[in-house]
Amino acid sequence: MKTNLLTLILALVSLTGFSQKEEYYQAMGESLAQYATCRSIEDFQALGNKFNMIAKAEKEEWLPFYYHAQCYIIMSFMEPSDATKKDAYLDAAEKSITRMIELAPAEADVYALQAMFFSGRLVVNPMERGQEFGMRSGQAVGQALGIDPTNPRARMIKIQNDMGAARFYGKDVKAFCEQAKALLADWDNFKPKSPLHPNWGKQQVIEIVNSCN
Amino acid sequence: MKIYLSLLFTILSFGITAQTIINGTVKAQKDGTLPGANIYLKGTYDGTSSDTEGRFSFKTSKTGNFTLVVEFMGFETYEKEIVLNGKPIQIDISLKEAFNKLDAVTITAGTFEAGDKKQANTLSSLDMITTAGAMGDVFGALQTLPGTTTNGESGRLFVKGGDSEESQTYIDGALVHTPYNSTAPNTSTRGRFNPFMFKGTIFSTGGYSAEYGQALSSVLLLNTNDMPVEDQLDLSFMTIGPEIAGTKRWKNGAVTATLGYANLGPYMNLVPQNYEWEHAPESASGAISIRQKTGKTGMLKVYSSFDAGNFIIGQLDLDQDKMIDYKLDNNNFFVNTSWITKFGEKRTMTTSASFTRDEDNVSFDTTRFDKQLKGFHIKQVVSQEISSKVTIRSGVEWFKRLKEQTYQTPADTFINSYNNNTLAAFTEAEMYASKQFVTRIGARVEHSDYLNRTNFTPRLTAAWKLNETSQFSMAYGWFYQNPSDDYLIYTNNLDYERADHYTFSYQSSLKGRTLRAELYYKDYRNLAKQNEGEFYLPQTYDNSGSGYAKGFDLFIRDKKTIKYGDYWISYSYLDTKRDYRNYPGMATPTFASKHNLAIVYKHWFGKIRSYAGVNYKYSSPRVYNNPNSTEFNGEHTLAYQTLDISWSFLYRPNIIFYGAVNNVPGFKQEFGRRYAETPDDSGIYRSTTIIPGSGRFFILGCFITLTKKGDQNQLDKIQ
Repeated sequence: MKTNLLTLILALVSLTGFSQKEEYYQAMGESLAQYATCRSIEDFQALGNKFNMIAKAEKEEWLPFYYHAQCYIIMSFMEPSDATKKDAYLDAAEKSITRMIELAPAEADVYALQAMFFSGRLVVNPMERGQEFGMRSGQAVGQALGIDPTNPRARMIKIQNDMGAARFYGKDVKAFCEQAKALLADWDNFKPKSPLHPNWGKQQVIEIVNSCN
Repeated sequence: MKIYLSLLFTILSFGITAQTIINGTVKAQKDGTLPGANIYLKGTYDGTSSDTEGRFSFKTSKTGNFTLVVEFMGFETYEKEIVLNGKPIQIDISLKEAFNKLDAVTITAGTFEAGDKKQANTLSSLDMITTAGAMGDVFGALQTLPGTTTNGESGRLFVKGGDSEESQTYIDGALVHTPYNSTAPNTSTRGRFNPFMFKGTIFSTGGYSAEYGQALSSVLLLNTNDMPVEDQLDLSFMTIGPEIAGTKRWKNGAVTATLGYANLGPYMNLVPQNYEWEHAPESASGAISIRQKTGKTGMLKVYSSFDAGNFIIGQLDLDQDKMIDYKLDNNNFFVNTSWITKFGEKRTMTTSASFTRDEDNVSFDTTRFDKQLKGFHIKQVVSQEISSKVTIRSGVEWFKRLKEQTYQTPADTFINSYNNNTLAAFTEAEMYASKQFVTRIGARVEHSDYLNRTNFTPRLTAAWKLNETSQFSMAYGWFYQNPSDDYLIYTNNLDYERADHYTFSYQSSLKGRTLRAELYYKDYRNLAKQNEGEFYLPQTYDNSGSGYAKGFDLFIRDKKTIKYGDYWISYSYLDTKRDYRNYPGMATPTFASKHNLAIVYKHWFGKIRSYAGVNYKYSSPRVYNNPNSTEFNGEHTLAYQTLDISWSFLYRPNIIFYGAVNNVPGFKQEFGRRYAETPDDSGIYRSTTIIPGSGRFFILGCFITLTKKGDQNQLDKIQ
């Protein structure tokens, strides 16, 4: 009898343990679905809050930190003029990025997002930060592609960076348009490791391709 | 059995849902609602964000004791234990603003800070380089800031009525004994360091921290770049010579080697010169810079350079009435190291050291004059954060200065030298009462073994933020410095020279516009004097000199009004008199101008990928002494004026063309007169005017950067 009961309790405990994971998948899934409805800085802040909550509950998962940082980077890009706010959003993103790199130092997407973060810092004051953060963004993309040359987001950010520089110097962007088209054609061949892993960016590539025409 | 069943029931009951509703509002403690705050139960997925009114509401099926957490950017995180038992919970929360030094008040009295991190900086590292007229010289760029007076025959920094020797330069915390190149008398010098080495600059024109001693007027703190990002090769070709620099990066370190050669000969053959150069200035230099990360937080930096330069210039000897050759050979060796590391979150330790060996071998006519300086400095500083609002910095340092000179005429040889060791210690507390108010109180003590004297100096600064955009700050302190080498080489029977600073400063910054106004008073005492008598006798010197400087500085910077344009205007009013060196009494010193104005403008032309700069500078006439007149320092120079332009063109991401012209309109520039040492037969001291090397100065250059990616450039290197 005693052993039976013990087995029952153990089963219950493991069940609660499992349901905790279940809750994580559910919360992440719901939050990711919310991306599509985000329109304003406030929307992204609310979504960022959800990921913050999940990150605080699941301290060893890198994905909540990834999406939290992403929300704040987007907020910084969306902020129209206040440089102090832009930097404050990026400060919040930076904390999550640091933690995310500690948790998942071998994930290409981690560095692709870091590259986006550096571009965010650059945009706040291109005149003074162009040199430093342009280089750091390029380096992070390089690191991402070093881990996984097929990672579509890293490839996309590299094309964006290269095109920006080419436009600035009045050079032809045709080669990069071809790269973007190739990436778009190839996009669906890249399978994320799980439904919760980063899978965004196709729309941005479509926009790049459209801008070429 | 019963017990087991009840246990089982208890366990199962956790699964049964009894929903609790939690609602309330989030406010900032001071004022206003906080929309977008994150409210959640710690360790769960239950939570929400506050709405535009700061209200929130969420349901949870958890029961028992939980911690409610409220987080919002820029505020301290709020936590509260709550019991969830199905009954609705209503809670109104007010968040306390987090204390963050970055957006708190900063001490600005007397200080110009440059660097890319801070939003409110007045001058960035890029500005240091793209200022027209500076020609890539750090000191040249600083001379567009208020509080400085341009002395065209010197090129050194003269700050708020202080002589150039009253300013000190530090790199990564260690003293630079010879920041300037050696030049012929009455010709302008430049800094030894390429501005692209530095990521940040602090220029304090008074009232600086107790960490810095041995400077009566100002300190310039230069911080070198951190780790380079990737391997690269930089090539530059300029009208004065080529330079090549290679950088190799590895995981936790990097090394950069630089080789340069400069020869003004070809340039001087093309552009008419006011002086007769027998051998145009020529120099060869090499430098190695190493960066190494140590542990998780440490960074070791080593910079070592060597340069050798020489020239021969023909100068009129007014006593003999003939042209003589003035020949100079200079060798300079410099090492600078710093190691910074953290012990835990709160404690930072910095060790800095520098060594300089500088040799000038000068000969003119039949005289030889050889000078050698060996300087050493080591400093250990510990910074301890007591709380988020209180930081204590303490340190000890040792300065060594060994000066030797040999003066040789056909008849005699004079050899003199002195050797000084100064030990110093300082401590300083920076205390924030709130975001609005900060004070920094410090003290410093120094002992010199050569002078055999000890000094003690208090320093006090405070700043008060009036509102979001403006602040007021003040600084007070005593500043000591050893008398000049020129005197110490003959006597140690002198005391420290002293200046007391009183500075009041107002600064207002709003979205790319900055206005700064500063009032100051400096009280000089114990200045070294050379009295009647032979210059080589110790009793000729004493500390009976004194003086004052008072003035008003104004600085306006505007990056906003003109799109892609950026300008600043500096104006300084200076009233100063002193009795020092061989002055017969109180007099205005020769290096001081009453009115100084600098207008600097830069514009980015995106379509043609060009950065253009133009600046105008004006200094009212300075005084100089005419030995034929009875009035000391009674003569006036012409007012100083210059209009400089520069243009940089980004031809390719990694190729830049650069051109600059100083004194475009060819304003007549004169820096006083030079007199014979003895009167001629008719009792008159003969003289000649002191003029710049040429009416205008041109420079053309091309900078190429090669990396794997090929799109880095040297925009930050433009000179």
